[in-house]
Amino acid sequence: MEYEKVYVFQPESERPAKRRRVEPQGLQTSWRRRRQVFDRVWSGQQQAIDARLDGINASTVNKVWHFLERAVLDEQPGRIPTGIILTGADGATGPGIAKQVAERIRVGKHRRILLSLSSSSGTNLKALLKTLIVKATSRRTGSSDDEELDDEDDELRNPRSTGPKLLNYDLQLLQDHVREHRTEQVIITFEDTEAFDGDLLSEIIELLGCWQDRIPFACLFNIATSIDFLQQRLSKAAVKALAGQVFDVALSSVEVEQVCEAMFDTDTPLWLGSALMSTMLERQHDYVVSVDSFAAAMKYACMSHFYANALSVFLGLEAECHDIAADHVVAVRQLGSFKTYARRLLDDHQVAVLKEHLESDTALRLLVRDKVAKGRQKLSAMVQTLKVIRLVQQRLPHTPVSSMSSLYVQAMSGKLIGSPLIRALLLTIRKAPSNIVVTLLRDLMAFHTEKHTPTIPDCQLLLTRFEDLIESQKHSTKPLRSEDDSQNTTLRTTVVAQKVELSKQKSALSEQDKKYTELLGILTSGIEDIFASNLVNPTDLIFHEIFVYDLKSPYREVFTPRPRHAIERALATPHDYLDCDCCGSGQGDEHVEATLAATQPATAVLYQLYLESGSLINASDLWQAFQAVLGDGGEEAETMTLFQRALAELRYLGMMKSTRKRVDHVAKVMWQGL
Amino acid sequence: MGGQLLLPDELLVMLNEKWSCREQQLRQLHALVSYNKIDTVQPKLRALAASPSTLVAYGPCATGKSRVVEAYLESHVTNRECITGRHLLERTVAAVTASLWNDKPGADQDNAYNVRCENIAALVAHLQQLLKSHDKFVLVFDGVDKQRESPPTLLPALARLGEYVPGLTTILIVQHPPPRFLHQTGVPYIHFPAYTRAQSVHILSQLPPDIFLDLPTDGTDYDAEVHAEDKAWLWPRYCAAIWDSLAQNAARDLVSFRAICIKLWRPFVAPILAGDFGTRDISRLLVAQRRLFQDETVLPDSIIASPTLAPPASQGQDKQSTPSSIHELPYYAKYLLLAAYLASFNLAKTDALYFMKSTERKRRKKGGVTARSGGRASQKRQVPRHLLGAAAFTLDRVLSILHAILPHDLRGTVDVYTLVATLTSLKLLVRGGGLGAGDALEAGGKWRVGTAVSWEYVQGLAGSVNFSLQYHVAE
Repeated sequence: MEYEKVYVFQPESERPAKRRRVEPQGLQTSWRRRRQVFDRVWSGQQQAIDARLDGINASTVNKVWHFLERAVLDEQPGRIPTGIILTGADGATGPGIAKQVAERIRVGKHRRILLSLSSSSGTNLKALLKTLIVKATSRRTGSSDDEELDDEDDELRNPRSTGPKLLNYDLQLLQDHVREHRTEQVIITFEDTEAFDGDLLSEIIELLGCWQDRIPFACLFNIATSIDFLQQRLSKAAVKALAGQVFDVALSSVEVEQVCEAMFDTDTPLWLGSALMSTMLERQHDYVVSVDSFAAAMKYACMSHFYANALSVFLGLEAECHDIAADHVVAVRQLGSFKTYARRLLDDHQVAVLKEHLESDTALRLLVRDKVAKGRQKLSAMVQTLKVIRLVQQRLPHTPVSSMSSLYVQAMSGKLIGSPLIRALLLTIRKAPSNIVVTLLRDLMAFHTEKHTPTIPDCQLLLTRFEDLIESQKHSTKPLRSEDDSQNTTLRTTVVAQKVELSKQKSALSEQDKKYTELLGILTSGIEDIFASNLVNPTDLIFHEIFVYDLKSPYREVFTPRPRHAIERALATPHDYLDCDCCGSGQGDEHVEATLAATQPATAVLYQLYLESGSLINASDLWQAFQAVLGDGGEEAETMTLFQRALAELRYLGMMKSTRKRVDHVAKVMWQGL
Repeated sequence: MGGQLLLPDELLVMLNEKWSCREQQLRQLHALVSYNKIDTVQPKLRALAASPSTLVAYGPCATGKSRVVEAYLESHVTNRECITGRHLLERTVAAVTASLWNDKPGADQDNAYNVRCENIAALVAHLQQLLKSHDKFVLVFDGVDKQRESPPTLLPALARLGEYVPGLTTILIVQHPPPRFLHQTGVPYIHFPAYTRAQSVHILSQLPPDIFLDLPTDGTDYDAEVHAEDKAWLWPRYCAAIWDSLAQNAARDLVSFRAICIKLWRPFVAPILAGDFGTRDISRLLVAQRRLFQDETVLPDSIIASPTLAPPASQGQDKQSTPSSIHELPYYAKYLLLAAYLASFNLAKTDALYFMKSTERKRRKKGGVTARSGGRASQKRQVPRHLLGAAAFTLDRVLSILHAILPHDLRGTVDVYTLVATLTSLKLLVRGGGLGAGDALEAGGKWRVGTAVSWEYVQGLAGSVNFSLQYHVAE
């Protein structure tokens, strides 16, 4: 073996089999099934979300596409046709609509090259051009046959068989490529325009402008701020080289709304609770977060439910419900909502029914199946009712239309039914004139037939009565007015014994108006009934733990961690994490962080001293304080080692740095609690 | 980039017609570079020494330097497209080779002159090799003073090329040559001065644009001939008016002058199209359209064709057709930018005064100024801070200010730090100042607000979140 430099390693046998296999036990046994359910549920939702998001910018993509098509046909000499896409801060990071444009290009009839440059493509002009040329010449999109591609691949390896060799940042390469392939347009997308260095961007635009007469360039800029800002940063010549047109994509709030609606529309078995939903929406509104992150948060919520909650196995196909393991059924009996249900049965003296559910697993399985299905129906009916609310808001004048997500959050918290919003809505209906009410009623019926939203009973009959009433009032074209409409009452001021008295006076109402008011009363109470019956509080539903997920903490821990706070806390209270005996809980529990003890890790001790000092810390003072805390027990060299290591660690964490103001001091860089 | 001289003398007359107002320069060029009527068939009589080895053509932009030289020599020239000094050298060799091929159409292109050209010494060697059999060759470097990444020896070396390569004349086209920039004396210069008013108008009037996009066809006797006459009459007068009002101060070079004339032409003739004025009614038209000549917003270039260029009648509607949906920054991004602005424009030592909650109401707005105001004015002239550039601040300072100005508590999650990164990539915050400015992980790194975050912009932000900015900004 010693004289061999290299040998082939041949293992003698197979790997040893693992000695221990972890078999899932108890509630874990259903994990595989739950994952299947999750896969099925989420794939449906993901498709719905994708479809919605693709559709939302369809018109913008169309416009960009037409712009590019037109740019091929009529060229402006010396100026690059430029599409400026206002994405807003949220959309600037993603691929944006360039991806969808690329899809179009693949099927378009012109030969085009689409490539995208981001600020990381190169820090100087040379590197950027290299990237540009490599991207443009290696990949081609456009109408072509596969065979043709094979032939061209060979040529590409030796791009210039004739003529002198070119440097790899020479746009002549691209020109040759364009000429050989008869490309009609080279589209360059600048993904994060703002992140580019202003001078670099100007230079490359000027250069592209120079070559515009030989290479048919077109540019797309993703802009998060404003066009003025872009123009400020470009040189004059670069601005001259661009002939731009502005395109606007949908607001991020609209996108979030669409994702929500996609989730409501699909027949989802799992509903997200109000607390979680409002947290997610708030983050989306408050910070620069892309809509993909919102969808990811939904997926994560879904995953947490199916992976961690064993009872979610009941959300599977109904046929599979009967062979759910017995310990799951036992777990169902522990649910809070089941206990309230049992209490209600006892109150109703239905002891036999309750006994059966407590003793027979089969009966309980059936009960869970039925009640879960019913609960889900209730919730979808509730979402349909939210649509009715929005419809009513749209039809009534001077009423702001609430967003679907905010209505959902209110409804899931069970607070919508008595809310001022609903009361105000009903009052406005009561005051509405006849022309509005009739359109509202018609739309309600149309909505009912189209989307199966709940509607009032005898809707058709009510409509005919309204119409009859309007018919009977032929002599006037004015719509009928309601008695409750404040326009019909006038305030009358009378002065009696030097006191002003205000009195309300109803203006004279016709007979029809009175009848109309009566009918309006029927309509309003009908709508009120819809709301009352459908806007249930989800926590009142039995087994809501199974189909409603409302845990905020996993979401917060995963999507919004607090790294700085975690480090600060760990340094301030090391005992919480180490759980050692030495600096144990014997001292007062409240103020553990205030104590300094020699047994604590050296870094934690030094951090305490660091917090107590000002913005410039004398290293010698710090050392003396440190030595005093650690006590005289150890040797000085040992303590010094600890001190130096602790100092280095704090510096590594970015808490302090050396300063040029004073050589023997360190500067405090971080403050606590930010 | 190069071209062999084949210059019949009659060409000069032709060029003079095409490039009007450059007669003197053409004659100079002719005197310096041409064969001087020497018959090439009789080699004994060639007086090649008449051409200097280096020639500099200079003048401000858009004075026809490149075009005139190019037209005279019929050779193409560009330096702007060269990314590095090396690139320039490579392209020079390529251009010379290409130019030599063009003269020998039957030559086999396969045995191409296929070499690398790494430095100026190599360029000299290559040129000597290539031009061995040529008596005269002119090499033109256009815009060589704007060359990127050029080595400091490039210009003097190019100027001396002719000394090493017999028969080579180098023409350098530059905008504003500094004195002795070639480190050589006795180089002939041709000056291309800026066009005067009369010259500019004369050049523009060569190609008058149409008044009527489509001629009236309703049987009137206004045919194309009359139209051509009319526009040739109206256009120069209009151009002169533009020169007097706008261009002589703000757009003196020919290109921008022409751009402005073309930009304003359609709005200008709109009343003629509408039938309010006749085509020869210039004085009344000028008075009626004087608003056009006073509006300076057309002067700066714009990526988007600006709405004022549309016919003036629709100007009112254009203001309403701004995009209805505006991408706003999220809530905390606005506050963070406000905090960053305050951190940039307030002194760090006044932070306790402006941001401590306890002093919020009792703050004296005037600060120390009142104490001094009785006496004479301060020795040091105080420039208002918002007129100065933004000062750098540390991350912790801006986060503290953010906590102080928020009307409620902030949970310091990773989102806040992401926000800083995002705003940095949008150039609303920029890294800068202090040590380690390039490294985002450097402890105590500093930020500044970007140039786009102006006082007006911040006021807009403050308005949208109901934040009383003026109470927190130091005057």
